[in-house]
Amino acid sequence: MSYLHKPRIIFSGDFISDVSTVNNDVAHYNNATFIPSFQEFGQGSDNGWWNPEGGATFAFQDCLIKKVCYSDGTSANDSSIDDLVGEFVQGAEGRSAGKMVDLDPQQQGVSELWALRLRIVTKSGEEVLAGDIFPTAFRDLQMRQTDGGKVNGQPLGASWTTVLENIVWGEKAENYRILKELKALTNDNRLAVNLNGFGYYYAHAADGRFSLGKVIGSIGPWFEGEPHTFTAERRLYGTKRTGSSTYFNFSNFRFDEDSSLLSIDFGNSFPISNSLGNVAIKNHYMLGVANSAFSNSPSSTAVDLTTSEFTAIGDLEYSQGDWLMKTGGIIDIKVPQDAIDKLKENQLLLIRKTGSSYTLVARESIDGLNFRADQMVQRIDADDESNVDFYARKWGKPVDSGTISIQRTPPNKTVPGPICPTPGNNFPASGLSFNSTALELGQNGQTQLKITGGRINNPRKYLDGQIYFLGYSLEGTSADPANTGMAGDQISIHLRDYFPVPDRPTWSDISDTMQQFSNLYPIMSKYLVDLASREAVLSKRKILLFAFSQDINSPMYMPVTRDLSEGKRLTIMKWLKSAGANEQTESFAVAEGEAAGAMKSAGKSVGAMRESEAVLADEPTNFHKEIINAMRLKMAQGVSFEAVKDTSKL
Amino acid sequence: MLKIAAHHIEAIQKAETLQDLYPLVQNAIELEHATIPPYLTAMFSIKPGKMQDIWNIIHSIVIEEMLHMTISSNIMNALGGKPAIDNAKFVPEYPGGLPMGIGGDLVVNLEKLSKDVVKNTFMEIEEPEHPLDIPVRTLESADTTVPDFHTIGEFYEYLDKKIQEIAPDDLPGDPKNQVTSPFFSDDVLFPILTKEDISKAIEIIVEQGEGTSTSPIDFEGEIAHYYRFEEIYLGKALKKDPTAPDGYSFSGEEIPFDPDEVFPIFPNTKASMLDVGTEERRRVDEFNRAYYSLLNGLHRTFNGEPNHLSQTIGLMFDIKLLAEKLCGTPFPKKSGFNIGPTFEFVD
Repeated sequence: MSYLHKPRIIFSGDFISDVSTVNNDVAHYNNATFIPSFQEFGQGSDNGWWNPEGGATFAFQDCLIKKVCYSDGTSANDSSIDDLVGEFVQGAEGRSAGKMVDLDPQQQGVSELWALRLRIVTKSGEEVLAGDIFPTAFRDLQMRQTDGGKVNGQPLGASWTTVLENIVWGEKAENYRILKELKALTNDNRLAVNLNGFGYYYAHAADGRFSLGKVIGSIGPWFEGEPHTFTAERRLYGTKRTGSSTYFNFSNFRFDEDSSLLSIDFGNSFPISNSLGNVAIKNHYMLGVANSAFSNSPSSTAVDLTTSEFTAIGDLEYSQGDWLMKTGGIIDIKVPQDAIDKLKENQLLLIRKTGSSYTLVARESIDGLNFRADQMVQRIDADDESNVDFYARKWGKPVDSGTISIQRTPPNKTVPGPICPTPGNNFPASGLSFNSTALELGQNGQTQLKITGGRINNPRKYLDGQIYFLGYSLEGTSADPANTGMAGDQISIHLRDYFPVPDRPTWSDISDTMQQFSNLYPIMSKYLVDLASREAVLSKRKILLFAFSQDINSPMYMPVTRDLSEGKRLTIMKWLKSAGANEQTESFAVAEGEAAGAMKSAGKSVGAMRESEAVLADEPTNFHKEIINAMRLKMAQGVSFEAVKDTSKL
Repeated sequence: MLKIAAHHIEAIQKAETLQDLYPLVQNAIELEHATIPPYLTAMFSIKPGKMQDIWNIIHSIVIEEMLHMTISSNIMNALGGKPAIDNAKFVPEYPGGLPMGIGGDLVVNLEKLSKDVVKNTFMEIEEPEHPLDIPVRTLESADTTVPDFHTIGEFYEYLDKKIQEIAPDDLPGDPKNQVTSPFFSDDVLFPILTKEDISKAIEIIVEQGEGTSTSPIDFEGEIAHYYRFEEIYLGKALKKDPTAPDGYSFSGEEIPFDPDEVFPIFPNTKASMLDVGTEERRRVDEFNRAYYSLLNGLHRTFNGEPNHLSQTIGLMFDIKLLAEKLCGTPFPKKSGFNIGPTFEFVD
């Protein structure tokens, strides 16, 4: 089951994503070459890009339920027909909103949502449904805006597909037909959720929408055995290029053979004219099923079709204006009798009709294949084992035999950059090991890759760990040239540095990391605490310990980017717990040595003192200790070492 | 000295049941909260990293006001009542008076830090019942002749007295609702389980605000709020001074105040002053939403989910960041002003 199943709830509105951008440049991680201008607003690596003071907040804003689709195939988009239409979709209340973070400056194409809650709340403030969004990275990044994003600055959009977990149904949920239907199908306390984000504002535009974007959401049932972060159904790929862009690039669809209903999601692919999701095109589109196979590559040259090449399913019914925001762009269409059997094992086509001519806009994947990795974004520590589940489908049905093969991406070299070298990735090879790189598909078209993190020691020099990319393919098939999203669908791994926690950590064990935080997140250093300063950090010790000890699913987790080696995080916590006492021991050791030196230079060796100081004659070493203790006492009272090393004044 | 209308004290005195006291304890919670937005606004108006001594003084007072709000809520819970925090009535209107008509004509604004606001608002709010150079007046004299007005300290003392008189030894509240926090020592924030706990808790609220009747230092050895604000006003730290009559004088380190290090925020900024559809308005709306979310989180905390308190800490930081960014943002169409934090109720 998935968000393409019924019952289904559609909502839309805004999201805010206040991501921080100093860390958008890998060179900014290098403490040695960091300069203050990297924290300032401005394009280019000499500046901090478009939102240097971002705090990574991600939240739903002004989202309303637009449409409900019941199990029986009927739907409602008016609150006079269904009371849930017009109610609110909101994030957490009584705690912080969620976060959106990149995996790494060297993989910014799989931004993840963390610690995000989703709640349906009525106008009278009653919570009828609430749950936690399982962390997920966006997929299917594609061109959306025909205006090129001229107002907002980002014309692309993408999907976050995931599950809503730990569902809580409000008392009033029983009053809503759609919620009752969903509740009856809820499995393992989870629902399927898809969020399409687009129209995102990099620009401080006149419409005040900086850091906002549009979101279309759909909620449907989820069943055991389904992936968490994509829909294991069928896929339609755009093949008609306009300039360098392909609209209708990636769309998920499902064909329900029992009801002969085709449900196709254009919510992440339909071309829009502006950042608000407005539809302006007036083309005549229709859906059909291919009578023979297509394997064409995306091209600006139109692929003309004759009516003998496809069997018509029906027109794609849409309208100009706010159609997309009101319907979510999911189209349910009854497949006519003569196309039902064909669609079971032939490609779906999206066709543009102009007069009496037909051109191909998008086609289903070759052979109806759809195989993807579920946990495609990995944050792994040394010695950790982590799993990636693969699901293979052909014409929407499990592929029970076959082999998924895993390909390592070859290492690329560290190269000179404008500020400092840009680290290469994918090395050392010993950083990753696998249960197998030839994974046999089994029941439900599933197989599992087990990745074990090796102990790597700072291969990128100035930032933690290493980025590795893994490709995958289904043996015996060749890559579909229209699946241009495969690169974004690779498995992206941040393997963190091996870092054993010292017994008695000192500031020097954590200062590089803290300096880097201070550089990259000016919102912290400017408004909260200068993380580069030992004294400032100590003065906020309790609250920092609180933040560093949060669960990774908490919105208060530190670091917000969730990219720090567990060993380093534990070292920071241990140091905070010690309140810096270990450095005192360290400086006392220095003091002891210097005190002995001072005595020597005064011509009073310990042995000489034994003779000259009759009272201490028996225990010269105790005398030595007393001096040290006196120094310790003074230093504990805040007197500097420089002041106490003149032992004659003790 | 801040005055509280006599009828509130009379209401305490007339109370026959704990239920009769609930509205008065609710007033106390509202009062403790009402001081936080003006103090925070002044603190947020300090430019980032500037005047840290003053910042730290205000911050320490705000933290104690939060503590007092928590203690008052614990008292309410101990008495079997329910603190009501997430409603429009809870949030004061600024400019406006304090809850219970405290302070009479005193109008509290959300405004930038200045010596004027410290002296004429903050020190007014915190002024002790018995300023140190005035002879000590005893509470007993008030028992028979009820004067026209009382102080906040007296309000709490009457409240304590009445609770001791009418509450059963076995307090009706569920101990599971008591809120504690690792961020406060258990000397000052402890579960209120007995009538003695109530007396001790009330003493903490009064003394942290006013000091003791003989010293500007409370029983925890901290300088009371009034004198901490006075440090800002006089620009000098309070210091032990054997030659001074009360053992202290403002003869410590300089606490410099520089008006150039304060953002010129527009007093009592409201969301409605900003055009809908502007980035500035959105930021203000976000601030108000975060503030509401915090009130909601605190309401949950004080109504049976004490462990939720830790979840609200993230919101406190959200509010701080949103407010400090607002204070640095020029106010559209109000030349020479920046935007202040609004602390308006939205739900």
